[in-house]
Amino acid sequence: MRFAALLSGVLVAVVLVGGCSSAPTPTPAPTATPLTKLTVGLGYIPSVQFAQFYRAQQQGYYRAAGLDVTFQNEIDPNLITLVGQGAVDVGVADGTSVIPAVGQGVPIKYAATIYAQFPDIVIAAANGPIKTAADLKGRSLGIPGEYGSSWIMLQALLASANLTASDLDIRDYPDFGQAVALQQGQVDSATGFRNNEPLQLAQQGFATTQLTIDQITPLPGPGLIVGTATLASKRDALTAFVTATLRAMDEIAANPQLGLDDTIAQVPDLGSNKDSQLAVLQATIPMWSSPYTQLHGSGAIDQDAWTKSLDFMRGLAGSNIPASLTADQLVTEELLP
Amino acid sequence: MTEDAQLAAISVENVSKSFRVERRSLPVLDDVTFAVPEHGVSAVLGPNGSGKSTLLRLISGLLEPDSGRITIDDQPVSDADQRVGLVFQEPRLLPWRTALDNVAFPLELAGMGAAERRERARSLLELVGVAAFADARPHQLSGGMRQRVAIARALARDPQILLLDEPFSALDALTRERFNAELLDLWQRTGTTILLVTHSLAEAVFLADEVVVLSKSPGRVVARVPVPLGRPRTQQMLESQAFARTASVLRAHLAGTPAELAAEEARAAPVRDVLETAGAPAFFDPFRGAS
Amino acid sequence: MSDNRHAWRSTLLSVGFAALLFVVAWKLIVVIANYPPFILPAPEVVAQRFVSAWADGTIAPHALATIQEIVIGFVVGAGLAVVVGYLLARSALAERLLSPYLVAAQATPILALAPLLVLWLGTGLAPKVVICALIVFFPVAVSTMVGIRSVDRRLLELGRSMRASRWQVFRFLELPAAMPQILGGMRVGATLAVIGAIVGEWAGADKGLGVLINLARGSLFDFPLMYATLLTIALIAIVLYLLVLLAERVLVGSWR
Repeated sequence: MRFAALLSGVLVAVVLVGGCSSAPTPTPAPTATPLTKLTVGLGYIPSVQFAQFYRAQQQGYYRAAGLDVTFQNEIDPNLITLVGQGAVDVGVADGTSVIPAVGQGVPIKYAATIYAQFPDIVIAAANGPIKTAADLKGRSLGIPGEYGSSWIMLQALLASANLTASDLDIRDYPDFGQAVALQQGQVDSATGFRNNEPLQLAQQGFATTQLTIDQITPLPGPGLIVGTATLASKRDALTAFVTATLRAMDEIAANPQLGLDDTIAQVPDLGSNKDSQLAVLQATIPMWSSPYTQLHGSGAIDQDAWTKSLDFMRGLAGSNIPASLTADQLVTEELLP
Repeated sequence: MTEDAQLAAISVENVSKSFRVERRSLPVLDDVTFAVPEHGVSAVLGPNGSGKSTLLRLISGLLEPDSGRITIDDQPVSDADQRVGLVFQEPRLLPWRTALDNVAFPLELAGMGAAERRERARSLLELVGVAAFADARPHQLSGGMRQRVAIARALARDPQILLLDEPFSALDALTRERFNAELLDLWQRTGTTILLVTHSLAEAVFLADEVVVLSKSPGRVVARVPVPLGRPRTQQMLESQAFARTASVLRAHLAGTPAELAAEEARAAPVRDVLETAGAPAFFDPFRGAS
Repeated sequence: MSDNRHAWRSTLLSVGFAALLFVVAWKLIVVIANYPPFILPAPEVVAQRFVSAWADGTIAPHALATIQEIVIGFVVGAGLAVVVGYLLARSALAERLLSPYLVAAQATPILALAPLLVLWLGTGLAPKVVICALIVFFPVAVSTMVGIRSVDRRLLELGRSMRASRWQVFRFLELPAAMPQILGGMRVGATLAVIGAIVGEWAGADKGLGVLINLARGSLFDFPLMYATLLTIALIAIVLYLLVLLAERVLVGSWR
């Protein structure tokens, strides 16, 4: 009896020790190459909208590709200069910011499309009188401010109905409360994001009509930007990064729950309201693809659309985009698989 | 007292005054009685703490006596009585005004028009001999000139009485002598009644018809000493026997022990005018370089 | 007179020299560290952009809006502060009652209050004026209180001996006597007012130099313009400060 106990104890000890020695901490093999560090700048706050990045991180896709990825949160203007400087290796930034930035000499390039559909839209009460862009004439519209992607989207939208901003009563909501104002009837319409405001308002029983610029001007949505110097010095690492990210993106598109789980694993704070997070993710996923990406693959960049957008933005009042700027100075597909 | 009262410009009768200091009552003046005849010059002489300054403030109406009464021309003294012109120990000129506007100040307060009061101020400055400095500011004037301006200001409202509280104590001895003479000259020309508080024996004797000697705290009238010198007073009189005799009489009345006298001197504080304590721009001023 | 002109010339020389030193150091930094123009443009690039932005009317309307906010805010804030400062000086009760609120208002960072004010008052002129006025208020009120309290008692006695009324004492004695301190507080207030205007604009505005900074940085990515705007803001602050100094020289300088 005592013998059996001793034997099993020894066996357990052997198994444990054996188990420990084959634990996941790898004894560095003499020929293993060190991981390439990459800093990745995501939007100004962690969000389930970056699920593909969190998944690739949590599932070890980056590590398997030889990358040591750290995330940073920055607002768009900061991110553009940080990436241009090389202080951040790759970031997610508005396509509409890349155009004036490159025009002013910031050395970056747009290397992969994340949002194939332009996220900024105009919303109005579903049971109200606004159904098309032309209906906006003479109405009030809430917007955070007359800058940024929503402002550009608005001008494109109005231009399609031969209107300008002066045909509307524009109200500034610097605290981003324009959707609340719409709900309370303070304004007839408001700007917002496809995967955000309509969802939130619908959850409160307020159905909305959404006006998009999909059929009007093919403005580029947010995507991955890289500094030209980083592009040269870390080409292989960046390519691996893009591949891993796009893989995670496709997996989440097929099964959104995966994205939610990995997001919460990466950012536990986002786990407090799983249902609404899932709803946001499910509304976000369709924006990751468009007819163009379905044809050419996730992340593909439509250079023709970029040229049209460039011309459009150049023609806006107050634009400082040089006449000599061309789309191939703005984008590159060298990192795409 | 009664025959004084008939001719009196100033009549002080049995005046007592105490100040409350930390719940104790500090008596400053005790049963003071004297009179100054119309168009007379009287001096109040006494050690520090004898209540001389308080006495002047009572007569000018800035303070009220606890008991007794003060009248000017048989009329009781009112609060800040405008029949009285007051000259303080320091000139107390407003640093931001010219000499002219300083003299015009009481007239401005009384509502006189600008042109009229400037003209009157100018003539007063002439009277005290600083008309040439009408547009100067106090900081540009010497101590003596400032005191002249202060005297001119005190005369602005044509007062019957001129009260002066050790007006020349901040000046050097030579200037002081000269100012004494000029004060008498002024007195002749304006016809005011003058009551002067002073520390200086020589000054009291030179200027006054009568010297009221006060004891140290609480101030009581120790003596009222008439000055047997004729008018107009001259410099030679300073050496006369009458002068010396009056001075020693006064000295006798004032005498305390040497220790007490030394303590008096130690307690005497230096005279600092408003001008020295007036505020100044604190920081670096690029218009001026290092301040 | 020649003394003044000499002081003027030496001041101009020293200020000019300091500016030159600053520009040279800037240029050296750009050259040595090889900063790209979107991180730190060279001084001549900024100077050129400054001139062109003024010439083509980019900066002017924004500068006008900001100056308007600063001036109105400063006047309102400083005006109120002198009145309140006077009350605090004259009434111990008022000081005991009001001081806690004053200190609390001062301690709360303007950056935190600004968005609230925009929420309540909209994105027009009003919240910026309020923010400027708030930020200017405390230093001027305190300096007024100190100034009025430290008026020489002997001057006040002089006023009493001349039967000056309360208003006359204030107008002819207390206010002029306290002027050096009040203006000292206004010096501080002048520079703070500029900060207040910019912070107010960042909380919500459609024009102003703060808005222009954001536009240049985040929409136009025109970094030389951003620096030119900063330069404009600094110049406005300096001019305002000098104006207060000038007032000080005129109102108080003649004393000594």
